[in-house]
Amino acid sequence: MPAVQETIDTVRKIDVDQYKYGFETEIETDKAPKGLDEDIIRFISAKKNEPDWMLQWRLEAFRRWLTLEEPSWARVEYPKIDFQDLHYYAAPKNQTGPRSLDEVDPELLKVYEKLGIPLREQEILAGVQKPNGEAEASDNVYASGRVAVDAVFDSVSVVTTFKEELAKAGVIFCSISEAIREHPELVKKYLGSVVPTTDNFYATLNSAVFTDGSFVFVPKGVRCPMELSTYFRINEKNTGQFERTLIIAEEGAYVSYLEGCTAPQRDENQLHAAVVELIALDDAEIKYSTVQNWYPGDAQGKGGIYNFVTKRGDCRGHRSKISWTQVETGSAITWKYPSCILRGDDSRGEFYSIAVSNGYQQIDSGTKMIHLGKNTSSRIISKGIAAGFSQNTYRGQVTAHRKATNARNFTNCDSLLIGDQCGAHTVPYIEAKNATAKFEHEATTSKISEDQKFYVMQRGIPEEEAIALIVNGFVKEVIQELPMEFAVEAQKLIGISLEGSVG
Amino acid sequence: MNMHAQMHTAAEKALLDAYDQRMADLPGDSAVAVKRDNAIEMLKAGLPTKRIEAWHYTDLRRLLTSVPDFEPAGNAKALDPLIEGSAVLAILNGQTTGHLNNVEGVTVERVFEKLQNGSLAPALEPDGNDDAIGALNTAFVSDGWHVTVADGTELTTPLELQDTQDGGQVHLGLPVHIGNSVKATIVERHAGKRPGLTSCVTNLVVGDDSEVLWLIVQEQPEAATHLAQFNAWIGKNARLTVFVMNSGGKLVRQEIRVITKGEGSDFQLRGINLLAGETHTDVTMVLDHAVPNTTSRELIRNIVTGRAHGVFQGRINVHQIAQKTDAKMACNTLLLSDDGEFSTKPELEIFADDVACGHGATVTEIDKNHLFYLMARGIDEKTARGLLVKAFLAEVIEELEVESVVEALESRLDAWFATHG
Repeated sequence: MPAVQETIDTVRKIDVDQYKYGFETEIETDKAPKGLDEDIIRFISAKKNEPDWMLQWRLEAFRRWLTLEEPSWARVEYPKIDFQDLHYYAAPKNQTGPRSLDEVDPELLKVYEKLGIPLREQEILAGVQKPNGEAEASDNVYASGRVAVDAVFDSVSVVTTFKEELAKAGVIFCSISEAIREHPELVKKYLGSVVPTTDNFYATLNSAVFTDGSFVFVPKGVRCPMELSTYFRINEKNTGQFERTLIIAEEGAYVSYLEGCTAPQRDENQLHAAVVELIALDDAEIKYSTVQNWYPGDAQGKGGIYNFVTKRGDCRGHRSKISWTQVETGSAITWKYPSCILRGDDSRGEFYSIAVSNGYQQIDSGTKMIHLGKNTSSRIISKGIAAGFSQNTYRGQVTAHRKATNARNFTNCDSLLIGDQCGAHTVPYIEAKNATAKFEHEATTSKISEDQKFYVMQRGIPEEEAIALIVNGFVKEVIQELPMEFAVEAQKLIGISLEGSVG
Repeated sequence: MNMHAQMHTAAEKALLDAYDQRMADLPGDSAVAVKRDNAIEMLKAGLPTKRIEAWHYTDLRRLLTSVPDFEPAGNAKALDPLIEGSAVLAILNGQTTGHLNNVEGVTVERVFEKLQNGSLAPALEPDGNDDAIGALNTAFVSDGWHVTVADGTELTTPLELQDTQDGGQVHLGLPVHIGNSVKATIVERHAGKRPGLTSCVTNLVVGDDSEVLWLIVQEQPEAATHLAQFNAWIGKNARLTVFVMNSGGKLVRQEIRVITKGEGSDFQLRGINLLAGETHTDVTMVLDHAVPNTTSRELIRNIVTGRAHGVFQGRINVHQIAQKTDAKMACNTLLLSDDGEFSTKPELEIFADDVACGHGATVTEIDKNHLFYLMARGIDEKTARGLLVKAFLAEVIEELEVESVVEALESRLDAWFATHG
């Protein structure tokens, strides 16, 4: 069974102790002093050469943030974060903004090569053999084909590939900093229109201090010719990463976007508070996929990323569709609820999630489906797998407002427990304010049954492999929703750390 | 509770004032008085708002708009028992009246006296800061029945704890101790003529190998406020079935908190909420599977008409040692009006790995196909709808299987339809 053995190997690789992206890169960086006040925000804004309206927007968010309290309702526990003990800006030196590949610091390119993300688009296009050192890239989506990548290193976007080719199709794909300078009218119109600066503690903080992220604009009637992707890397010590992503699909447009992230192995916890806004106009479709693999901390629960993310899509137009797919395996703490506001009539929202927690990881994740328009539908498939000493919570909300006639939702959230020291929790909020709404929710929690295991093992498959097979079956529904190249990677990630969980 | 409440609402103020005025008249020794004072300190911090997770859908601070005065002299009358032949323990306007005639194995005492002599003081303990009903009741509880059922008793007729009131404020305690190997059916009934405010805390201990059917029937007047808490501890190999029916009240919160204490125990919850007018009715269950090998099933059915807002929160906690737990919860709602609203939060919190737990929740309108099926047979729409709604609810009642109980509950259901159909 080579395929299964491969899964097991992958499992070993991603066990918390064996985080393979944990290396640190020595790169000279330009940092803001520690702490957060209006001067730091002015500093960030100036570094980015931002227009004054952007600075004012940030300051307003910052003043608002000062009045907010950190939310405590999620089922996660962590020591209080000292927001004054962080660098809010860190950038590789000599980087004033995205530029052509030839100008990028070769050290940085090496980092991405090491992560398995070849930024050398031409070489891939020409079919040139990959340079040495990319041997492991084969199990990685980025290596497998034509994917445009925006690479974000600490606080800045270092390069965006395939820009020219995308521009031919009319698609704008660049860093958000560049968009603020080059396309202010679009940014002004859409930024903060889905996640307002007043939304929640972390989103408001992000609005004040966000340093980079991706911007995607797909004009009317255009089907984006390739997958778009952003790869986030936190490298510097004691920094927070605050990225902001804004994706707009105009009438009839289609775009599929992938997001990946890693960080070095450190003993201290690091903060990552991102905001993602998606806007789909009439008949548009946005597919957003995430493989989140931030450093989860070591086997004793030391270190790891605090991942406090606000992601929200607005199906603003009729018949629009937004689909979130996430595979969450990293981070010490995950606090994340990718949501859909189903504003347009006949719009559709989807959420597919696999959340795997191990070691001392804590995940509180789920979605919100807010039905406002007529004949809107949504579907939620969530699979949580808890192992080790981890806590894994699904928290989701489905609401139908008064005017949302014929709102339809189907939710299925299943949890699998591996070992008796972990916890799996389900907290759905279901609110119907319209008599024609039809909501169905089902949830189960179980362990792998002896029958299932016996069935597989009596065919000569060892126990660990049998578990891997069953787990893969458990999450199949979600995996199917991922873009093809991604699915292969995700499936291996899911093989999870079954090591030591047998018995 | 809401620690940010600087300004008290009119209702909060009325409660605090009522305490100041009545403190001296409330029954209890010094130990009870200390408990009351502590509870009132909790209330001073403010009633819970929706920011408190346990009160997410019932913002008590906003919803409790007025508090009536005490009217101990109100003209409440005892009702015929729900199930014919039951032994009735009456509470009229918050005061126990009458006594129990020779029911073998059952002894009753008045909570008033047990407060006076301080023997109930240890039981007066709100469960943390969010337990507003516990705090309110501790501060004001003045009477109720304390029931003890001796080991090995098999009650041939049901026992009915009947609370009727005519306006005012009533705060009751119902401590019930069921011994080992007991079989009993107990009815807890709340009704009234003029609307008032009721708080009631029931503490039920079910001994090993016992089998108890507990029916809570709440038929308060339309404008009443009813805040109730039912706590139960289930012993080894014992079975507790709780049936709740809410069909009255303007602001209703019925908490059901159950802990399986003994291995092999089983808990069953069945509920019907008939919501009409402007009612806000919240049934909140917290079930702790605290030991290995216990089972539970919950089935709640709701119909929402008018401008009613219904809530069901159900949380199943499976403790780490509670291996082999088998728990299933379902909540189904028919939304029958455009202005009605239903919110549900069925939670699972699981720390043991060898368990089978699940929950399901649906909110829909009447199935058009079912309606068509009946109408195609010449039944007019109104009758067809009525039939379908009744069938939807009756299913829960029929599961109780005891004929006299099923008949009694179905007659209450019919009575409700007669006035609200």
